[in-house]
Amino acid sequence: MEELDLTVRIGRMLLRNPVVVSSGTFGFGEEFEDFLDLSRLGAIIPKGISLKPMAGNPPPRIFETEGGIINSIGLQNPGFRQFIKNKLPYYKNLETHLIINFFGNTQKEYVELARRFDDVAGISGLEMNISCPNVKKGGIVFGTDPQMAYHLVRAVRKSTALTLIVKLSPNVTDIALMAKSVEEGGADAVSLVNTFRALAVNIHTKKPELGNIIGGLSGPAIKPIALRMVWEAGQAVSIPVIGMGGIMNAEDAIEFILVGASAVQIGTANLINPRTGLEVVRGIREYLTRNKIDSIQKLTGTFG
Amino acid sequence: MPLQTDGMVVRNKKIRSHYFILEIYCPPIANQIKPGQFVMLRVSDNASPLLRRPFSVYKSYPLSHPEKRKRGYLFIFYKKMGKGTQKMTTLSNGQRVNLLGPLGNGFTLPPLPSSANCILIGGGVGIVSLYPLAEALKDGKLSVLIGGKTRNDILGVEDFRKLNSTIFTATEDGSLGVQGTVVDLFISETRKFRENEGCYVYACGPVPMLKALAGTIKSKKFICQVSLEARMGCGFGACWGCVVRMKNPKKLYQRVCQEGPVFRIEDVAWE
Repeated sequence: MEELDLTVRIGRMLLRNPVVVSSGTFGFGEEFEDFLDLSRLGAIIPKGISLKPMAGNPPPRIFETEGGIINSIGLQNPGFRQFIKNKLPYYKNLETHLIINFFGNTQKEYVELARRFDDVAGISGLEMNISCPNVKKGGIVFGTDPQMAYHLVRAVRKSTALTLIVKLSPNVTDIALMAKSVEEGGADAVSLVNTFRALAVNIHTKKPELGNIIGGLSGPAIKPIALRMVWEAGQAVSIPVIGMGGIMNAEDAIEFILVGASAVQIGTANLINPRTGLEVVRGIREYLTRNKIDSIQKLTGTFG
Repeated sequence: MPLQTDGMVVRNKKIRSHYFILEIYCPPIANQIKPGQFVMLRVSDNASPLLRRPFSVYKSYPLSHPEKRKRGYLFIFYKKMGKGTQKMTTLSNGQRVNLLGPLGNGFTLPPLPSSANCILIGGGVGIVSLYPLAEALKDGKLSVLIGGKTRNDILGVEDFRKLNSTIFTATEDGSLGVQGTVVDLFISETRKFRENEGCYVYACGPVPMLKALAGTIKSKKFICQVSLEARMGCGFGACWGCVVRMKNPKKLYQRVCQEGPVFRIEDVAWE
């Protein structure tokens, strides 16, 4: 058989393989360098960046539930300027795509950030976060209203030529409508799902387990719901879908690809096994070989 | 340099009531871990529990250790509490476990040569993370203050005794040593020190204990470092889940796993 083709195209990016590591679970990348060769990943997405630094939410910020974790980190990040100065130089030596996850409190901030990142060398794409459940303003407000999402994406689209991915919230009634709206707004791709709004209770203290009370649930517990949503979104749009939600291994990733994902993101699993991304790449390769499929692109959406 | 590696369980021994020691053969980590650093242990191969659990190391034997049969071993002293440690008690000889480590920053030792007084303060199972430090400090003037709820919670006395240190114990019910907390013990013992004597204090234990200690340390003669525990997502700085609140508003939330787990006591906003 010919050489396996693992490449996938997302907007203007050609990824060497469909495995991307998800924002918020991969630090700024450097935290992982002792454990794996980052250049062998399809792309990396560092922690989300805002215009101004953000302190994040009060601890406790993380709580484990059955097959999942609820987090309320609150988008702690150093802000645009410090990110460019202190973090960006690290990526110059990596031979993988750098996708910047960003968010704002207002449309103006989203537009301003997209414009600023557009001027920065070394960035392949942007992932717009309109789905963080852990901050009061912005984030999820845009991500749950199709009209607002459409207008926001349209405005951001005009301010950047970079590949624009929109990260969707699962905390909506109709994910297909959300995906369709951001596609019409000019997104090059959608990524989903972000975390599900969730709560954990301590019966001894009668208090919430998280300082922020509400957090976002991720991990294997959400995978079946995430799969359903990726499938629905994929049927509604013609742009690529990047699937995520509880992927722990190659089998999980293949399920997402079968239901319509062109690429996948590894999230929570990075925290437990920092090498998960590479193990998923290897597992996908083996699956394709075993099933005599010469290209990953031929696998996308072949479910049903 | 931290790494991800498998270790082999050699023994998992119940010490008393809820306390166990897990012995793991893991030369790559045993060979480089420093006092105050920790490891993340994957307790289960499946999603229950999902996350790794952080543990400080009680004893570790580098490949240069004089006793050949001990080389490459790590001892984890743990208390059976939740789902993770419950599962840990079922690990048996010959089983493989996956580890990440060594992680975090260790304790800062007094500059050498040192004649400084060193005081280690441990509450409950917290004392075990101070044992490697005690080994590093054993040639100086070393006092070890061990506290717990009852005599069953006073751990490691025999091991600390071998290190030529002066040991004091306190229990809340008075069943062993002085009745009271280990912080009460600290106050009465340090009263004897003169103002001009430098004194290095190292503490590990529950937050209320550390907070009480912070309240007693006012004098500049004490240089006090604390080792913090926190619920951790990853243990290597990626998720920002384990932060502790600091006094400096410019560094409000610091990661226990990355900037810690050892902090200067005066930097933490005890609440």
